[in-house]
Order: sequence, then C-alpha cells, then structure tokens
Amino acid sequence: MSLGLTDFGLTLRGRSLVAAFNLRVANGEIVTLMGPSGCGKSSLLSAIAGTLQAPLAMVGDVQLKSASLVGVAPERRRVGRLFQDDFLFPHMSVGENLLFAIARGEHHARVAKMKAALRDIGLEGFEGRGPHTLSGGQRQRVSLMRSLLAEPQVMLLDEPFNKLDNALRGTMRSSTFDLLNQRGTPTLLVTHDVTDSPRGGRVLKIENGEVKDV
Amino acid sequence: MALPLFLIFVLPVLAVLLFMLQDTTSLAAWAALVVHTQLVKSLGLSLATGGAATIIAIFISILIVSTAFEGGRLPGVSRGVGPMLAVPHLAFAIGFSFVIMPSGLLARMVAPLFGWVVPPAWVTSHDPYGVALVVALAVKESGFLVFALLGLLAREDARQSFMSQRAVAQSLGHGSFSIWLSVFLPQLADLMLWPVVIVFFYATSVVDMALVLGPTEPPTFAMVVWSDLGSSNLDHNARGGAGAVLLTLVSGAFLFAAFTLLYFAKAAFMRFATRGPALGTLPLWLGLAKWRGLEMVYVAGVGVLMLLSFAPLWPFPELLPPRVSAAAWSQVMARPEASVASLVVAGLSSLIGIVALIGWFETRRERDDRLVVLVSLVFLALPSVLTGLGQYRLLLHLDLVATAPGLLLAHVLPSIAYMMILLRAPYRAFGEHWRVATQGLGTSRAAFLWRVKWPLLKGPIASAMAVGFAVSFAQYVPAQLVSAGRFTTLPIEAVTLASGGNRSLTAAFALLLMVPPLLVFGAAAWWARPRWRQA
Repeated sequence: MSLGLTDFGLTLRGRSLVAAFNLRVANGEIVTLMGPSGCGKSSLLSAIAGTLQAPLAMVGDVQLKSASLVGVAPERRRVGRLFQDDFLFPHMSVGENLLFAIARGEHHARVAKMKAALRDIGLEGFEGRGPHTLSGGQRQRVSLMRSLLAEPQVMLLDEPFNKLDNALRGTMRSSTFDLLNQRGTPTLLVTHDVTDSPRGGRVLKIENGEVKDV
Repeated sequence: MALPLFLIFVLPVLAVLLFMLQDTTSLAAWAALVVHTQLVKSLGLSLATGGAATIIAIFISILIVSTAFEGGRLPGVSRGVGPMLAVPHLAFAIGFSFVIMPSGLLARMVAPLFGWVVPPAWVTSHDPYGVALVVALAVKESGFLVFALLGLLAREDARQSFMSQRAVAQSLGHGSFSIWLSVFLPQLADLMLWPVVIVFFYATSVVDMALVLGPTEPPTFAMVVWSDLGSSNLDHNARGGAGAVLLTLVSGAFLFAAFTLLYFAKAAFMRFATRGPALGTLPLWLGLAKWRGLEMVYVAGVGVLMLLSFAPLWPFPELLPPRVSAAAWSQVMARPEASVASLVVAGLSSLIGIVALIGWFETRRERDDRLVVLVSLVFLALPSVLTGLGQYRLLLHLDLVATAPGLLLAHVLPSIAYMMILLRAPYRAFGEHWRVATQGLGTSRAAFLWRVKWPLLKGPIASAMAVGFAVSFAQYVPAQLVSAGRFTTLPIEAVTLASGGNRSLTAAFALLLMVPPLLVFGAAAWWARPRWRQA
C-alpha cells in the first residue's frame, strides 16, 4: 500500500505555507507530524484526502501504491480520516453509522460484520443506541471503527485524542495503534502533543513553514 | 414595551383564531356545505393541485440547493432568491399567465417555427386540471423553500458541521449523491417541517393565484369558499365559513397522513441509506438548469408585463408590440388611490411591526417568545380564506369593517407574523458580551441600543422590515374582505383587472404590485451592506 508524498507542499493564495518535502510512509508505519496550531498540518491532511478548500492549494504529488491521487475525487481515494470530534452522524444509530461504511452486499452478512466490529471495540449490543447516549471515549472508538470498516488504504489522524481525558487517552492511543498495526495501514498522525506519537515511531516537525526530521 | 406586540398582534390573532370558527357552530351551514354539488370534486382538485405543487417544489428546491452547495454556487443562488421572494404571488401569476396563454409570449416565440398566424388552441391558463396553477405554484414555492434551506445552511455552525460530515462521508467512500440522500436530507427534513407545512396549506387554499390561473369548472375548493364569502347571501357566507374550516381540516388531515406515512417509512429509509458506500455524484448541470429555468420564468414574466403595459395593441404573432404607448400608465396615474393606500398601509405595517417586535425582544425573556412564535406560525400556515374570515368577523364585532384602522390591522397581522419568524433568531443570538463590554465603558442603555446593538443588527432588522412591507403589500384575501368595497388596494385592483379584458392596464398594475417590494428589498440590502470590505 504505502503512502508517498513527493515535492509535496501547501500554498496560501499562491504564497508558500508549507515548503515542499518528501515523505514515504510504509505499510503499518505511523508517522507523527507535529507543529503549532495554524501551521497548516491539518490542511496537509485535507490535501492528501482531496478536500482542501481555496484559497489553500497543494503542490507536488501524492501517491498510493505508486499511483497518483492528484485529481482523484475524495470519495475514490480510500483515505480514512479521524478528527478531534467523532462526527458520528446524529440521525443514525451506532449500528447504522457503522453500516454506512461497510461495503455493499448481503444484508445479514453486513449486519454480522457490524456486530463483530462493535464486539472488537468492547461495545457489544450497542448497535441500537443513539450516538449521543455514548461517552466521548466510546464515540471516538465507534468513529475509529467506522473508518476502518471502509477499509482505507491510508489513515489520517487529526488530533483524535485531543478531547479525551488523560486516563482515557492512553488506552485509546494504544488500542488505535494496535488496530492500525494489525491491518498494516500506513498512517499519518497530526498532533501538537509529542506523547500522542507511538513509541519508536518517526516524528516530523513543521517549523517556520518547513518540515524537518526530529 | 411588550404590551404593543401583545395588543396589536397576539391578542388580535388569538381572537381571529376564535372568530374564524364562528360558522362551525351553525348546523345549517354544514348541511348546506355537504349538499354542495362541487364539494367532492373541488376538494379533490385542491388537494391534488396543492399536493403536486408542494412535492414538485420540494424536489426542485433540494436539487437546486444541493447542487449549488456542491458546485460552490450558494452565494449566487442566495443573491437571486431575494428578488424572487419579493415578487408578490399575484403579480407573478399575472405575468406567468401572459407568458403561457394562447396569445402569450411562449406561443409568439414558437409561432414562426409552426407558421402560426392565429393563437394556438391551447387551454393553458384556467385549464381544467389546474396544470397552470400547479406549475406557477411550484415555481413560486420553490423559491420559498430554497430560501428556507439556505437559511439552514447559512448559519456558520451548521455549515461547518455539514462540511465536516461531508469530509467524513467522503473518506468512507460516499459520493455527493449518497451524502445528500443519506446524511444531509434526513437531518434537514426535521428542520424543514414548518416551511413545508406553510407551502402545502398555502398551495391547497390559494385564492389570488387561482383567480388568475386556476381551473373554473369545477374550481379549486378555495374558489368555492371565496365566492360564498363574497356573496351577498348570508346563508352562503355561513356556508363559506364552514367550507374554509373544512378545507383546513381536510388539508391538515392529508398532511398528517403524509407525515405519519413518512414516520413509518423512516426505518426502511435508514436501512436503504446505510446500505454502504456509493460513488455516484449529484447531477450538477441539472440543478443549474433548474435554477436558470426558475430565473427565466421570472425574467419572461416581468418582461412580458413591461411590454404589455406599453402596448395597447399587440397583434399575434408579433414578438414585439408594433407601437409603444403610455396610455395604460396615464390611466394608472389618473387613479392613484389604490397605490397610495397600499404604499401607506405597507409602510405603516413594517414600521409598527418593527417597533412592536423590538419592544418585545428588549423587555421579554427569550423563553416568552415561544407562544408568540407558535401563534405566528399557526397564523401563517392557516389558509388565508380562514384567517381572512376570522379577521373580518373580529372587525365586524369591533365595528371596524370598512374603516382605515380595520384595514391596517388586517395587514399588520400577517406582516408581524413573518417579521417575528425572521427577526427572532438573529435578534436573540445577539451576544450578551457586547452589553457587558459597553457597560464597562459607562454607556447608558439608550446609547448602547442606538450606537452598538441596533447598528450591529442592521442587516436582520432591515430585511425584517422589507419582508414586513412586502407581505403587507401583497395581501389580497383579508384586504378584500375587511375593506368591504370602501377601500381599494393594489392587489384588489389587480385581481379585478385580471378578470377583465384590458391586458395593458392589468400588466401595468401587476408591475406596480411588483416594483415597490423589489425596491424596498434593494434598499434594505444597500442599507445593511457591510461598511468595510471583507478581507
């Protein structure tokens, strides 16, 4: 699978916001991108996902399995995303939120897959509940599982642990990284908190509009 | 300062709601209604035309707004929809009828293709199935629903939430079609309940548009009621009163059945909506085409009215009138009573409304709004034949029929109802921190209101006043009933003329009905323009 960024950077109204850099994220690897707020790290993820909004623009190339993603519609990129907020759809039950992401097919097989996924994240029997009845940590787990069920080829994490309290943060972090490792999904994690990054993983820093190795 | 709104709006509307039911106590009226020969056919026609127009308008508005959202054209649509709303239904219907009638603009445009020298044998306006009425209603109400949808999407928090949900759904492999169908529409549906209720009741009970375009043999049921209410026979009046109640009950029951059906269909729909990712995208071109089509109808309608108002003679199949004459306009100038009455009443409605509403907002807490909002929505949603009758009976009771205060009250009520709905949210959303910050500077309450709060709320106040003006300016049913022939306003004049033969004069009056609201909306937009350019 592996994600490749080649001469990849961001511009704001034509002026450089993040200078061009190169990066390759191998299968199962989790690379952390750090930087202060407003430095453009979330926008880098939007550029990879294809949802960058003007006046921001990207330069360079994004490849997945060495095929370029430039110009490909966001919904065809198979790039999974997780945000600070869980963005579970409020009008769908927990189960429906998961079914929304599971590929089309025979209904009972899809429901079985949804139930198994809930079991994996310790929420067995929660399928009929409304998202608002869950705790913040439970919602974020459902949100993560929802992205994984769509079988993404790359995962982009945008400070997904930010809103969780400290006790929950640690367990949520390790279970997220475990699930991603199992699947071998190349992952880019954006955060301003260095403790969020997986132990021994590569860490990059955005400083004054330039990406540097730490 | 909460008292004015209570005295000139809440109390009268509650009284109207009571008085409009007066005829339901008369058994004779119901007996006469039941044996009315046109009852079943007319009621069926009302439900069919109103229902069809509502469904078409819902589809068109969703298509326009969703494709505009996806295509980044929301600002353009939102600029265009204001003037569309400002055009009164009656003026729109008159312009539309001059476009589609056998000797109308449409026939003249295709005449060279078919070699027509006499108008084709079309039965376009007043067609027996009400097709012309359905199309005109669908086009006009699409604008209203587009406006309502834009209002939901324009709020910054809602827009942000939709953009994020869209990014999430895209990352799960859903194209724009699936996102709108499964994610956005179900969430918008609940919020669109009142606008749809208002459109449906309006469409099943419309009087002025039906007089211009609607079927006649049999007519829609609102027409049956209307001719009963206008009759000099008191028994017929009572039958009309019972008919207005029946029309409301039947429309309400129909709507209730539709919503019940939707409620039970929801589970099946959600199963469909969560059947998995789909890449299909919205047909952006189709939405754009629909929007351009809507604009074209308005442009053609206004264009034909302008040509006709300067053309005493316009033989078929000429595309342009052979000579220009200001004859119709000099006739308009010679009888200014209706124009003056309409302008004065609409101006006063808008002023009285804004003073009463701001007085209310400044002295009552937000939770007290609930009753007033409910009263406003109910008053707006109910058929105008019913509320108009209620107003008439109330004024009769107060001995104010055919008086200037009575006429004014009949126009003030619907104006305030609309202004309340539009102004409440932005006025109440005004941040408390501004007051706290200003108090710290030792500013008086009056200075705070005049120099901080109201300037900051200039936009919502200006558009509420424009809407109040336009709503008052377009009233036909209550005006006709409570003026009892003593006063004439522009809508009354225009309806009378539309049924006569003087097309040039009719067109001039239809334009007269259209121009002041447009000017007022334009003035409001200009007055509320941002003082500094946005970065």
